[in-house]
Amino acid sequence: MDIFDSMKISSSALKAQRVRLNTISSNIANVETTRTPGGGPYRKKEVVFKSTGKIFEKHLDENLKGAVQGVEVSEIRNSQEPPKMIYDPSHPDANSEGLVAMPGINLFEEMADMMTASRAYDANVTAIKAAKRMALKALEIGR
Amino acid sequence: MPIPGLFDRTIGLLEKTLDLRMQNQQAISANIANVDTPGYRAVHLEFEEGLKHALAAADSGIAPEAGAAGGDFSRVQARVVRVADPSGIGDRNGVNLDEEMIDLAENQMLYEAATQMISKKLGLLRYVIQEGK
Repeated sequence: MDIFDSMKISSSALKAQRVRLNTISSNIANVETTRTPGGGPYRKKEVVFKSTGKIFEKHLDENLKGAVQGVEVSEIRNSQEPPKMIYDPSHPDANSEGLVAMPGINLFEEMADMMTASRAYDANVTAIKAAKRMALKALEIGR
Repeated sequence: MPIPGLFDRTIGLLEKTLDLRMQNQQAISANIANVDTPGYRAVHLEFEEGLKHALAAADSGIAPEAGAAGGDFSRVQARVVRVADPSGIGDRNGVNLDEEMIDLAENQMLYEAATQMISKKLGLLRYVIQEGK
């Protein structure tokens, strides 16, 4: 057993949550983007998490194998929500009826997601601090 | 700790406690890491009962020597229990973050308590070796 395993598990989550925060930033930044390299308005990006045991399997105790898992980003996919049509005839991307296709991004949803991601990140930092403190305490035995 | 009589079985028990608490730390870290993973079932380790049984067995055992009793504790294994989401709504994630944070703090404190006890035991031994100086 490795005293750093627990930190590795938490750091896998830090990485995953950071990817999620970056994705949310991208969604918020592109809330009114109507042009993309692929054509059409920006599509909301969604992060999908998956638990993984690969990174730590070989270090773990026999009875913890398969039970203790870290996390990784499985995919970042485009939202299936249709673009929001807004009436704005003066917009350069307006169609013949004066409607503009805007990304269907709900800012409140993004802000709530951002707070959840940030809280999850904090929780993992606390877990790393606890593991570090425990390891340091073990080094103090016999002082 | 092969010298019989020098270390009593408390050291063996504390040693195993540190080991199991570190494993528990890993399980709690994994739960916190997977707080947003759909369908994840929380992992809980149960070992208090196992240690209690081992201690009771050592107390009533025929072999009171330190070596034999210490061997008992080293065989104690944590039992892995997986908890699915009881609510059945949302992303079916079984992690309760508040509970995990409390478990984390509790586990850390009990680990530190065990390290303190080992330190004190060794301190007593050192006191005797140095003839109370």
